[in-house]
Amino acid sequence: MKRLLYVLLLAASASIFVAPAKAQVIVIANPGVKTTEISKNDLRDVFTGSATKLPGGVKVVPILLKAGTVHEEFLQVYIGKSDAAYRAGWRSMVFSGDGSMPKTLDSDAAVVEFVAHNTGAIGYISKATPHEGVKVLAVK
Amino acid sequence: MNRLIVGTVAALTLGISPALIHAQYNFNLAGRQVQVHSFGSQGFAYSNDNSYLTMNTSQGSFNFDDLGVNLSTQITDKFRVGAQGYTRRLGELNKGQVTLDWAQADYRFEPWLGVRGGKVKTVLGLYNNLQDVDSLFTWALLPQSMYPIDLRGSTIAHYGGDVYGKIPLRKYGKVDYTVYGGELPSDPHQGFLHALRTIFTEKTPYTGSIYGGDLKWTTPLKGFLAGASYMAQHPSGSGVGAPTGPFPGQPFTWDSKKRQISQFYVRYLVKGLHIDGEYHRDYRDLSIRVPSMNQLSDVQWNARSWYISGAYRLSRRIEVGSYYSFFTPDQNVDTSLPGNHIYDKVATARFDLKSFWTVKVEGHFIDGYGAIDSARGFYDGFPGPSSTGSGFKPQTNMFLVRTGFSF
Repeated sequence: MKRLLYVLLLAASASIFVAPAKAQVIVIANPGVKTTEISKNDLRDVFTGSATKLPGGVKVVPILLKAGTVHEEFLQVYIGKSDAAYRAGWRSMVFSGDGSMPKTLDSDAAVVEFVAHNTGAIGYISKATPHEGVKVLAVK
Repeated sequence: MNRLIVGTVAALTLGISPALIHAQYNFNLAGRQVQVHSFGSQGFAYSNDNSYLTMNTSQGSFNFDDLGVNLSTQITDKFRVGAQGYTRRLGELNKGQVTLDWAQADYRFEPWLGVRGGKVKTVLGLYNNLQDVDSLFTWALLPQSMYPIDLRGSTIAHYGGDVYGKIPLRKYGKVDYTVYGGELPSDPHQGFLHALRTIFTEKTPYTGSIYGGDLKWTTPLKGFLAGASYMAQHPSGSGVGAPTGPFPGQPFTWDSKKRQISQFYVRYLVKGLHIDGEYHRDYRDLSIRVPSMNQLSDVQWNARSWYISGAYRLSRRIEVGSYYSFFTPDQNVDTSLPGNHIYDKVATARFDLKSFWTVKVEGHFIDGYGAIDSARGFYDGFPGPSSTGSGFKPQTNMFLVRTGFSF
């Protein structure tokens, strides 16, 4: 019995610390967004609510994934924040009256669908996800 | 025992309810999407000796919870309106009264120029306007030298307007500025009035003008932010002396000739590491006039506060941290006296059970209890005719658990 409890405890601890598998993330935008590339700084500003336009005046609207490997990798590589710190940033704006929460979708496919049909929408998905109807932005 | 059962049931309910209510509720009104968000928390505090924050912590207290709900909608690309209601229970100070936390209309002409008006949360330091939202912080209790939960009402919001914006500085980063002015809302439940309740009863609200500003510089050094805030207030009010006070039954007026707050701060946030430091100066000059006794008293305070905190996220679900918080009600008096300082050493573990649900376990090791009129957590132990207590012990150790949600 003691051994079983020990194994369960070990498994629970491991589940807390285990790192998610890596996915390759790409940034996609509605075809109407008149650019083919975006700087890492501009991408961070858009997805943290600091900017609503890209240089040159292109208006963009960030679309988030709810959770998962792609979401975590996007935050790690492009935003430089943990999921908790990232959500805290948006909640700060929402609860102090400074902003509204961006649209959050459950899956890559839903992000592709939304970005394809909404002017200015910009999101992120796994490279492996089919992404017809949207343009891929190169991140410089 | 009944209170313990009620508290336990309340805690369990709040612990379970986040899972039940987790969702972002949006609805359409006149063709526009309205977002609904909320946050809430339930705490339990147990201290070895002195009771803290008007809770009966020396016996263990669940009398520490809050709830906020807001609605907002984007009218046009540049124009947004919203409002938030807030309620909390905190010992003897707040007993579930619902208040309008903020309600504002916001028009952003350009990223570098926006205006908002209504009841607006006041920007002061890193976290004044955010201090109620438990899920944003590592700590179950923010450093009380800087963000005293019992004096929240004296700085939290203003009726009036802000001009704000974000100015890019090219390779030097960017600056966020806010300038504001208006009227200080009255808060009949704040700790300052509670501390002095055996001296007088308030008759007309202690309120008046407020103005100030804030500059936040996001530096080119990744994750490093520095800033400064200034606030000036001129509240006044009137009351009647309590039977146990120095002017029993006599009407009086009190007028804050000058209250000036300066705050300087830095934040370093990179990957899982989060370091904050803030310094705060609070100067007050208050005159109390009792016309029937031809008496005029002038009282000055020159308080100083600072803290430094560090937190590290070990994994998606666990964050640990510690802070040291320093407060002296009057730096012109010997600050080594326990009646003129509060030093708080804190260690915390935060568990993110879900992205919307947290549990925090925190230890406080507090040295000193401040002055009766500093209203920083310690109330009922001051000796003398204005007290019901029998004195404080110089040290307080406190264990705090707080669970909270936000969506």
